[in-house]
Amino acid sequence: MPKVNINGTEIEVEKGTTILKAAAQAGFEVPHFCYHPALSIPANCRMCLVEVEGARSLEPACYSEVTDGMVVETKSERVIKAQKSVLEFILLNHPVDCPICDQAGECKLQDYYMAYDAQESRLRAEKNQKVKVFPIGPEVLYDGERCILCTRCIRFCEEITGTNELTIVQRGDSAEIRTFPGKELDNPYSVCTADICPVGALTSRDFRFKCRVWLLQSTDSVCTGCSNGCNIHLEHFRNEIQRYRPRYNPQVNDYWMCDAGRLSYKEVHTDRLLRPMSNGAALNWHGVTETASAKLARALDDDAGSFGFVVSPQASCEDLFLAKRFIEEVLGTDQLYLGGKPDGFEDDFLIKADKNPNRQGVKAVFGGLNDFGDVDKLIDDIESGAIKTLYMMETHLPADAETRQRFVDALDKLDLFVLQAQHCAELANQAHLALPACSHAETEGTFVNFDGLAQPFEQAFAPHGDSLPHWQIFMRLARAMGQPLTYTFVHQIRDEMFQASDADENGEPAEAQAE
Amino acid sequence: MGEVKTKPVERAEQGLWEKSYIPEILRGLSVTAGHFFRNISPRKSQRRIFTKNYPEEPTVYPERYRGLHRLMLRDDGQVRCVACMCCSTICPADCIHIEAGEHDDPSIEKYPAVFVIDELRCIVCGLCVEACPCDAIRMDSGRHIPPYTERNEAFFDRDLLMELGGLSQAKQGGDRTPAAAE
Repeated sequence: MPKVNINGTEIEVEKGTTILKAAAQAGFEVPHFCYHPALSIPANCRMCLVEVEGARSLEPACYSEVTDGMVVETKSERVIKAQKSVLEFILLNHPVDCPICDQAGECKLQDYYMAYDAQESRLRAEKNQKVKVFPIGPEVLYDGERCILCTRCIRFCEEITGTNELTIVQRGDSAEIRTFPGKELDNPYSVCTADICPVGALTSRDFRFKCRVWLLQSTDSVCTGCSNGCNIHLEHFRNEIQRYRPRYNPQVNDYWMCDAGRLSYKEVHTDRLLRPMSNGAALNWHGVTETASAKLARALDDDAGSFGFVVSPQASCEDLFLAKRFIEEVLGTDQLYLGGKPDGFEDDFLIKADKNPNRQGVKAVFGGLNDFGDVDKLIDDIESGAIKTLYMMETHLPADAETRQRFVDALDKLDLFVLQAQHCAELANQAHLALPACSHAETEGTFVNFDGLAQPFEQAFAPHGDSLPHWQIFMRLARAMGQPLTYTFVHQIRDEMFQASDADENGEPAEAQAE
Repeated sequence: MGEVKTKPVERAEQGLWEKSYIPEILRGLSVTAGHFFRNISPRKSQRRIFTKNYPEEPTVYPERYRGLHRLMLRDDGQVRCVACMCCSTICPADCIHIEAGEHDDPSIEKYPAVFVIDELRCIVCGLCVEACPCDAIRMDSGRHIPPYTERNEAFFDRDLLMELGGLSQAKQGGDRTPAAAE
């Protein structure tokens, strides 16, 4: 293993390590624009130039591999001069429109200017003008003046998505990023180009002008768009999610996430059920718990055999674990059905056909999916009268519009329909009791992705309206019905859940922490 | 216990003139009457009074007095503000609410579709003015924040703040040639 000396620090690194990575291991930052750990290395921005003893010229740290006995200086006078020159060159025609740029605050050019340059522009001529607000794709806007031509976006489209939409046109100071004729930047991962763009040249259309990035608070979470469970930074401001940003996890999603998942945060803020309702009248939790427990107890007394329960793979494992205890200990029914969204588009990269984040979690908590009836059986059972009381978690059903309409029509036949969900959909009006549950942003929990990887997510902000996490609703009802389930914190449920699943399942996903 | 130092003061001896009171009372009244007549004199420069008949007589504020906010204008009368949120970020009272919008003119791009200042929350610190990179918000209107009867009257929106605004000497944005703007 080669030993290198970086700024006087001796460090031993793997063979083939670049100077940039070795410096990072030694604790020195080497500024860089074009280098991205997941992409190939073109070494075109020249920001990472370092001085290597014995070398005639400065060398790009992102590309040069270390050799044994190498002596590297990342902060020498020559290097500082080179860094200043490179930044002056990049900033020559930069519009410096930071006040209206969405990247301001997380812009590498801003950061490096403050850290390595901090000198006034010497340009006295008019700046070069290029295209601004260019709609390069349905989700992304391009600003030619801000672009530093690092080609990260081009390499992303070549190497990660393989769609090859982007290239550089023109030469010299007229050079710009453009799509090939007849194409636009329209692939399922296009907003990742805005993520990796070190400046504000490519920006997300959805996030445009929405919130300044320095106002955002970030919470580690998991995307609920599909069963892949991409790790995300859930970024929110004043109790509202502003955007999702991929969080690095080499086991799941690397640095990327899909556009559909990125926009799935909108569901959290649309059509929410915010107050507990009884036959369409808003109640408080105190009142609705009493009503619900009385009605459920009466339904169980009358005919316990006609009690159906729809379990949702949209809910977290902790919610499902309490649902299981509620079903087994309080309701005592075995007529279970599986809800969740219908299958959708899939590809061979990150997007999975199963649009529910926690189907594997249902499998783990309930010990397989064999006990669950499908939608057709649910509708048949309601129509035939085998189910007279239905308790439904979440509003989604894996069915097309026609089947769903059949289900909605069949609901009239029920004696009691209890809906416990985030969204109103068309079901909240039909429900005799509608209990507001909160989204994954408002509580903590665990999702198990398609691969069996259990991934925890954190609470970002307080529940909207009167909504409560599913597990707390089950606890309230169970206590009111005289069979209390007593937990105070999610981690208590989590501990018990993993113990239970380890004890009776061997094909069980082991608890694996993301990152 | 330390010794207390004392200094005896000789009392002025009163003569017959002082003891008879009347002339001294008249002397005192003449001073009062002198002030009175000087301060109601029609020639204001002669008056030595600092009380102002507010609001009939306007107060002259110092040049850097921080009054009601105003939003400055571009040469064509549009709002200078580009909704960069620097003022609302720095505001310690959190009284500035801005919602950015997409401007029709591509050389402006971003403008405040909603810009509301809650003047009741404002603590008149002037940090918003210092934070502004465009000389778009100022507090030099020289006006008090007016009295309200309703709380929502204290929400000053963009158009109201622009009514007080004027032109700035600072240049904003570059000149764009038509070829580059297309």
